[in-house]
Amino acid sequence: MRKLFLFALLLAFSFLMVACSSASSSTDGNDASEGDSDNQSEDSSSSNSESKDTLVIGLDDDPPQLDPHRSSAAVDRQTFQSLYNKLIDINENLELEPELATDWNISDDGLTYTLTLQEGVTFHDGTDFNAEAVKFNFERMLDPDFASPRASEVNLIEEVNVLGDYEVEIVLSEPFAPFLSVLTDRAGMMVSPTAVEELGDDFANQPVGTGPYEFVERVAQSKIELTRYEGYWREKPAIANVEIRPFPDANVRVTNLVSGELDLLNKIAFKDIEKLKEDPSITLLEKDALGYQGIHLNTEVEPFTNKNIRQAINLAIDREAITRVVFHGGAVPAVSAFAPSSWAAPDFEQPNADVEAAKALVEESGLTDVSFTLKINPKPEEEQMAQMMQAMLSEVGITMEIEMVEFGTMLDQLSTGDFEAVRLGWSGRTDPDGNAYRFFYTDAPNNYTNYSNPEVDGLLDEARTVSVQEERKAMYDQLSEILWDDAPYIFLYHERDYKAMKNYVKGFEHVADTMVRTESVYFE
Amino acid sequence: MEQATEANVKQKIPNPRVEMFKAMMGRFFQNKLAVLGGFFTFLLIFMAIFASVIVPHDPIEQNYSEIMMSPSADHWFGTDEIGRDIFSRVIYGAQVSLQAGLISVGIALAVGVPIGLISGYYRGFWDEFVIMRFTDAMLSFPPLVLALALAAVLGAGLENAMIAIGIVLTPNFIRLIRAEVIAHREREYVEAGKASGLRDWRIILIHILPNTLAPIMVQATLAIASAIISEASLSYLGLGTQPPDPSWGAMLADGQGYLSDAPWIALFPGIFIFITVLSINLFGDGIRDMLDPKLK
Repeated sequence: MRKLFLFALLLAFSFLMVACSSASSSTDGNDASEGDSDNQSEDSSSSNSESKDTLVIGLDDDPPQLDPHRSSAAVDRQTFQSLYNKLIDINENLELEPELATDWNISDDGLTYTLTLQEGVTFHDGTDFNAEAVKFNFERMLDPDFASPRASEVNLIEEVNVLGDYEVEIVLSEPFAPFLSVLTDRAGMMVSPTAVEELGDDFANQPVGTGPYEFVERVAQSKIELTRYEGYWREKPAIANVEIRPFPDANVRVTNLVSGELDLLNKIAFKDIEKLKEDPSITLLEKDALGYQGIHLNTEVEPFTNKNIRQAINLAIDREAITRVVFHGGAVPAVSAFAPSSWAAPDFEQPNADVEAAKALVEESGLTDVSFTLKINPKPEEEQMAQMMQAMLSEVGITMEIEMVEFGTMLDQLSTGDFEAVRLGWSGRTDPDGNAYRFFYTDAPNNYTNYSNPEVDGLLDEARTVSVQEERKAMYDQLSEILWDDAPYIFLYHERDYKAMKNYVKGFEHVADTMVRTESVYFE
Repeated sequence: MEQATEANVKQKIPNPRVEMFKAMMGRFFQNKLAVLGGFFTFLLIFMAIFASVIVPHDPIEQNYSEIMMSPSADHWFGTDEIGRDIFSRVIYGAQVSLQAGLISVGIALAVGVPIGLISGYYRGFWDEFVIMRFTDAMLSFPPLVLALALAAVLGAGLENAMIAIGIVLTPNFIRLIRAEVIAHREREYVEAGKASGLRDWRIILIHILPNTLAPIMVQATLAIASAIISEASLSYLGLGTQPPDPSWGAMLADGQGYLSDAPWIALFPGIFIFITVLSINLFGDGIRDMLDPKLK
């Protein structure tokens, strides 16, 4: 029976590969760019020729669109790394590094940021990158008619002043220490003003940036083709073309990597960690990421109006078991919003699976028959974890029902407050403010738990105004303590980020923001 | 001598009902596949009823030191991704599946039979333009899509899944019974009943209904099989049985991600869905042949 089964599996995979290879051979280069750079875009994208000149990347989903100022999906950001430059970058040690901005100065009151820009940079359409372009980009994000998801990150900007061709001044209405780190993500990505004015909304389908690769063609749900930008301001990338393909199913993704259809994956299933580590043809890179995962408890509904119950859940869960069984070591237990890779990570340890203490808390609460429903996304890992927690909580006398809800519906119910508990995490930001403020400040946009604590609000506000890291660390430590004690959100684990690639793929810089930076990659 | 005459007498005056039953059983047992199907069906029912006695482990007990173990003497079908015994879960899953099959068909019968009887007996506007067009509309949906939509509206869970499947199966019963009743209402015995002044409900319930039982039974048996598949499909998609209760469909979904590492997680529930549905269908076919007097 097993042999038959394996044979069937093999057959299925071979069909899959046939399907994939025939898809990649029907390519004709459609050059979207104009100006002085288009004559070099030679296009050869048969992926398995002897002289390999295309890096084929497998993503966990199809990017909804390619405009960084419109983007609200995490998967978009992966593609942007090739198409755009950011004003500032972060390196492997999470330190800020110059990219389009070669230098920056912050005034003593923390309100004025003066950026010196890189000279000699052009967009893929030939437009010059300068202070005017920077001004245009920020105004675009702040335009209420454009309704950019970036607006909430840059809405403290009062004005953008052009001081010279390559010098720009950004004035904030109040001090905001995380501002520079905001510029390392999509808000710092510069798009071509000429292209935006020409294309309007269609820019999201024909993106023009300053990045190492320019856009060639996109077939929705199938592939995005990029080719080296010959007018690139830094050293040009070694590989001529990049092809990005979406594979939502983790098994299919890994199978395609092993078979050689793909060169690099941005995400793997945790169960495959061991297998890929052992495979001699695969390089598996591992890095602590910046996000956290856990459970939002609605503090306005029973039984979570009762702090004892929230604390009991916090204590009852065996985080070690979850990270070991579900994540195969690909995650570490979490007790705060700050991952081990962040400077704000607290030094304290909290009890793990203290069943007796949890039982005592349930008794203290004065409630009997404590029960609630946890909403989860229908994914194998989620179900596995939920069932483990269900068993752990039943030991302390709490009944947890599990309800599987489609992701979009779940987000709706989160924002309307139609839930008791929801399993949802956060991908994380370089600055700790991005991991805490929006979730735990009173009435903040993502404060789904309806948590409100003046002390927490005070700490979050203060940490925004101070720019000395040690001082901010002390505030975030205090915050972590309070959040552990109040337990509006049950922190469960911090994921590690994995990038899997064929062993001939070299030069990949693995940064904790989990992005695929193609610029430095080469084949050996 | 006396005994022999007695036997002769019995042979000479055979009870027609007993004879008919004998002939029917004969027809059924001639069909080897139907017998096999029936055997497995009853074996499954037996397993479902005595699940708590049969299973070696608690179906929802998690053992984190024994995750994804291949089949062994202790775990006949291996263990799943959080260390639960798959054999125990498959046996308990039989309970869920049979329950889903029987209850959803029960719902379809409870709603479909009365509507079909009344609609077929009285005919007229309500029958022709309301009930029949309504069943047409429902039948025009692919069954699983309709069940999915209903289950999504009602909310996830086994009870709601059974209601959704029951609703989806109902139009088939309405149409079947209506057709049977229409054939019967023109027969002499109905005419005779009317002539002797019997009330309509007596004619419908006491005279027509028993005559339509054979096709209802066959249809119901086959519907159980499709209801089991529907429940497995809904659970597979997360709308049926909720964790940690074992359902074959949900187990299949769980195991899907581990096909290359631990194929047994999905394999055994898959085999059981296959065998169960096949057995019930074969059994149903056997019953149909058995009840059909035209087949010899």
